[in-house]
Amino acid sequence: MPDETIGQHLKRQGISRRDFVKMCGVLVGAMGLRYAPPLDESGLPAHLENVRGFTSAAFIADTLASKPRVPVIWLEFQDCAGCSEALTRSQDPTLVDLVLNTITIEYHETLSAAAGFQAEQAKQDAMKKYAGKYVLVVEGSIPTDNDGVYCTIGGRTAVDLLKEAAAGAAAIIATGNCASFGGIPKAKPNPTGAKGVWELITDKPVVNIPGCPAIPEATTGTIANFIVFGALPQLDSLHRPLTFYGHTIHDRCLRRAFYEAGKFAESFDDEGAKQGWCLYKLGCKGPTTYNSCATIKWDQGLSFPIQSGHPCLGCSEPNFWDGGGFYQGQSAPLDRPTITAVGAAAAAGAVIGVGVAAANRMQKTSAKVEKGG
Amino acid sequence: MNWENILEFARGPFFQVALLVFVAGMAYRLVRVLALGWKPDRVKAKGSRVGGVAVSFLKGIIIWPFVPWVKNTFSRNPVIYLAGGLFHLGLFVVIFLGTAHMLVWKSLLGIGWFTLPLPIVDWLAAGAIVAMIALFINRLVNPVLKLLTGPAEWLNWLIVFLPMVTGYIMTHHLWLEYDTLFALHMLAVDVLLIWIPMSRISHFMFYFFAKAIHGSDFGKRAVTP
Repeated sequence: MPDETIGQHLKRQGISRRDFVKMCGVLVGAMGLRYAPPLDESGLPAHLENVRGFTSAAFIADTLASKPRVPVIWLEFQDCAGCSEALTRSQDPTLVDLVLNTITIEYHETLSAAAGFQAEQAKQDAMKKYAGKYVLVVEGSIPTDNDGVYCTIGGRTAVDLLKEAAAGAAAIIATGNCASFGGIPKAKPNPTGAKGVWELITDKPVVNIPGCPAIPEATTGTIANFIVFGALPQLDSLHRPLTFYGHTIHDRCLRRAFYEAGKFAESFDDEGAKQGWCLYKLGCKGPTTYNSCATIKWDQGLSFPIQSGHPCLGCSEPNFWDGGGFYQGQSAPLDRPTITAVGAAAAAGAVIGVGVAAANRMQKTSAKVEKGG
Repeated sequence: MNWENILEFARGPFFQVALLVFVAGMAYRLVRVLALGWKPDRVKAKGSRVGGVAVSFLKGIIIWPFVPWVKNTFSRNPVIYLAGGLFHLGLFVVIFLGTAHMLVWKSLLGIGWFTLPLPIVDWLAAGAIVAMIALFINRLVNPVLKLLTGPAEWLNWLIVFLPMVTGYIMTHHLWLEYDTLFALHMLAVDVLLIWIPMSRISHFMFYFFAKAIHGSDFGKRAVTP
């Protein structure tokens, strides 16, 4: 019932004002809002100008409580539903729960009870009713080869469905690496011509929340930013929110000191691995991967891959699937020439050398003969 | 074509081609030098050739860092001598004892080895870059070097300088995107690999070759080189 305000909805859910403000405090932290962002950068509505510099969960609470819940249309294309799983299975009792209470999901293939034509009809109705107001979340990449036939829903291609839904969206969020950069479907040889949303929708801002899956707090934090400020957060050059993608995993890694000291695990079961040393030599892509796994972590801040002893795969970066082996050092070349090729090159060089030397010698001899004769 | 494609090209096919050109080129150069031939040496051996080679290399290793003042090149222009030394030291440490580069060797040769902590490698890399700038200025101002310096020398300097400076900026995540810098670094390395056999940078091999030949000749005549 998107017509009631978020405040009314939460009240109906039995959440007290006190709990609500507490949740907003957590939300402020998760959104990285030490202060309201500068007006020109945030697109903050002008009437909110006097709140700049005023940091408070109460401000967020007041803003949230007075707003209607935001309708969300969630499209899934070439995906595994992992991002949805990560979001819905998130155990966080406050943050994700709160954000999920501030939105109404009008269409979601995996979650909706309805199926087939009814579900499609519900989506059409929602798009009409909330035209220009709904948030479009896309999960999964979009195939473009052969007119996009590799992914169709209700007889229509993913490209078609995306463009239709994007036209009326107030904001577009691409969640996960597939929707952001093409992800696994785009890996070589990319048989379906998979693309990320921002490659196809160029007339509207698209926020990328890459990851495999996307960190739930990053997705909800971005949605919350949109609800509170009516605008999208500051983005980097790959359209990722700076709050969550402003630093590399390496910069915030708990094993960083070992990297600096040159202490590396050489295999997964050596002494270094047991001591929790740096995983760089085991192929860690942390130095080039921008995400907040090292700070927000997973499962209520329990751990993240590197903490659990596995190198970072770089899943929030474009083309992470083709950037060399997961367990190969990041600096290593993508392929190496075969021994035969190297031998052949050396032999070719030597043969040409011998040939040129012989030719020179013959020239010298003949010159001598001419001179002598 | 974006930076990612360029990076993929520079780390993949271009690197392979550059490596093969490098191997072929160095084989060619070595054969050409060997084919120049030796004049028959009929002198009776007075000493050991192997001993001569050993002394020749040992002196090379010990004199440079520890007793440089016995050399004319040092006493005439110590700054340049030290800059050259610092550059070579930094280069060796970065290439062989930097973790990222050791992983390149490991992927090519199949064996890895001990590496130094990052701050040490980093400072030596910075030292090598500063040394190269000093050597550049020296070439600009030294009247004799000015006469001896042609396009090939400037090109040598540039082609060695680019991989070093892009690598340094990349390690520190400065100014440009990491992918862009990585691509530039790899392109610079590929160009360097192709350029080495065609230039005097091939002294990385001929230095050892010449030391060995001279040491062996001196050793045979029992005169310390």
